[in-house]
Amino acid sequence: MQHFWRIRRAFLNLLNHRLRTRKLPLSLRISSVFVALTLAVGGAFWLGRDWFGPTVELGPQRTVTTLNPKIGVHTRLTDEVEPWKIKRTLELVRELGAPWIVEYFPWAYVESQPGRYDWAHHDLVIDHANRQGLTVIARLGFVPEWARPPESTPLYLDEQHFADFANYAAQFAARYQSKVKYIIIWNEPNLSLEWGYTPVDPAKYVALLQTVYPAVKAANPTVQVLAGALAPTLAPPGSVDGMNDLAYLQAMYDHGAAPYFDLLAIHAYGWYSEPAEAPAPDVVNFRRAELLYHVMVQNGDGAKRAMITEGGWNDHPRWTRAVRPGQRINYTIAAYQYAQDEWPWLDAVCFWAFRYPWDAMSYQDYFTFVRTDFEPKPIYLEVQRYANGAQP
Amino acid sequence: MIKRRGWAIGGMLLLLLVVAGFLLTLSPQAQSFLLGRDEVWQTMQRDGVWRVGMDPSFPPFEWLDANGQPTGYDVALAEQMAAMWGLRLEIVSIGFDSLIDAVQTGRVDSVISALPFDERLTEDLAYSIPYFDAGIVLAVHRDSALLGVEQLTEQRVGVEWGSMADMVGRRLQRTATDLQLIPFETAAEAVAALVAGEAVDALLVDNVTLRISQVAGAPIVTVGSTLESNPYVIAMGRNAFELQQMVQTTLATLQDNGTLKELETQWLVAVPQP
Repeated sequence: MQHFWRIRRAFLNLLNHRLRTRKLPLSLRISSVFVALTLAVGGAFWLGRDWFGPTVELGPQRTVTTLNPKIGVHTRLTDEVEPWKIKRTLELVRELGAPWIVEYFPWAYVESQPGRYDWAHHDLVIDHANRQGLTVIARLGFVPEWARPPESTPLYLDEQHFADFANYAAQFAARYQSKVKYIIIWNEPNLSLEWGYTPVDPAKYVALLQTVYPAVKAANPTVQVLAGALAPTLAPPGSVDGMNDLAYLQAMYDHGAAPYFDLLAIHAYGWYSEPAEAPAPDVVNFRRAELLYHVMVQNGDGAKRAMITEGGWNDHPRWTRAVRPGQRINYTIAAYQYAQDEWPWLDAVCFWAFRYPWDAMSYQDYFTFVRTDFEPKPIYLEVQRYANGAQP
Repeated sequence: MIKRRGWAIGGMLLLLLVVAGFLLTLSPQAQSFLLGRDEVWQTMQRDGVWRVGMDPSFPPFEWLDANGQPTGYDVALAEQMAAMWGLRLEIVSIGFDSLIDAVQTGRVDSVISALPFDERLTEDLAYSIPYFDAGIVLAVHRDSALLGVEQLTEQRVGVEWGSMADMVGRRLQRTATDLQLIPFETAAEAVAALVAGEAVDALLVDNVTLRISQVAGAPIVTVGSTLESNPYVIAMGRNAFELQQMVQTTLATLQDNGTLKELETQWLVAVPQP
């Protein structure tokens, strides 16, 4: 023990002497600088690892193999922060045999302060989707705090900020000029909830289209703008909750919407009806899409095409609008096939929703094709079999 | 001397201020806990009422009878517990997706509604121990020699097509054993096939369907442990720690004295759909 204290004292004396006389050996000085530099550079990389781009390789360019080119899904990668989960989700979509995805790209996530943009997450999703050979239909919305009054919801946008939203949409269209061909302007504007808890207003939505459309086209003339994405609803006239989708679409035409969109986005939920059930104005079912297209035709817009950007069936055991799991599989596959066989005016059928980042612990979980832990549900495997050409 | 006392009093006041400040920074739940006060339980005691939220649309756990009154397993369980505490039960009908909000905002004291445990909400809610697991189990005929999933190679296993049981079966096919899945349109049809003993050797089925079949006299038994758990629990506000303790103790008692099994026998029956 005495040796230890003696050695310690000698070392400290040497160090004190060296420090006082500034005569540290050259090798020690070089080593110290090297260690300090290594720690500094390593620490900077560790702290800034998210700024140096995705840590997951994009991988080789892939293509989707499918017998039905209209199969699509609505992914939910908005709040998926881990790059490998984004990649895995999109790989599974490709392996399903679905060439189309709809994804939400919130304005508030990119421009949380006016004029300051962070495109990192959007880049991540779009680059991985492109690499998997998927065609992205980008849904734009979600207003940042600075562009709306205090206490309002992110789904509220007043006329004073239409130009700001148009600027975001234009920047999006320009940035992803070679990667995103379709963008949807807003979501379900015929519901008060989706219209910032204010009375729905087709004229105001058309004014939004009239502001956004030219800005987007100026930034990227080839991008295709989808309007509508109306919620299928039988809300009676004057309802505070929303407006009948057929009436809303007609009102859009009445207010001059036609020149300001290229395709119509349709939401087609089947609830408890089979997909072939005939449409009727007082029924919400899958083929209600035909009634919306009929409104387009009646307004001289029949040459335009449409896409289903939400829809499908749910198999929750206690939700009143759900069907049994086997019915959900049969109806989903039959709906994809129906669209392929019967609707030449429709390009894609993107059903809600492929996978959530976390369980909703509600009926919403029973819309998905894949669990949050990526385990495929039977509906995923059966649609995959269908897309690969297996007989039912 | 006086000066020293003044310093002491000042120091104590400062300490009190620091402690009070510390308490103010804590969540209401932590404040209640440190102060030893559960306002939910105290209000229940004062008013003599236990307000339980449920969505009476999920037989056999809860539904409305011909007179429009809530009935079912969960109602009977809540009645048992309220009686043991000397409280009057007040059932508040609430849509399933609003039940959690209702307990968090204090509209009800507890939720009993075939509510699955959600680990993500444990910072906001207090949960009981499970009183029923509705998950997926492996069932065989009472006379079968099968003892578990490891013996399912080349066995015919019935499932409801597309269901969670089907998902578990496909998982077993991928990862564990070369079993043959036999799909049925409903779980009840799969049970019938197992009872008949011709089309299938075993069954992957949710525990509710299984218990209903057993109560109805089907000669089928569970083998092995639950393959995909789905525990039903009672939920309370996070600060209701005394109520939570009472719920835990009471459920344990009901488990030990066989009451929970009796409730299953009484209530887990096929209920005609309206």
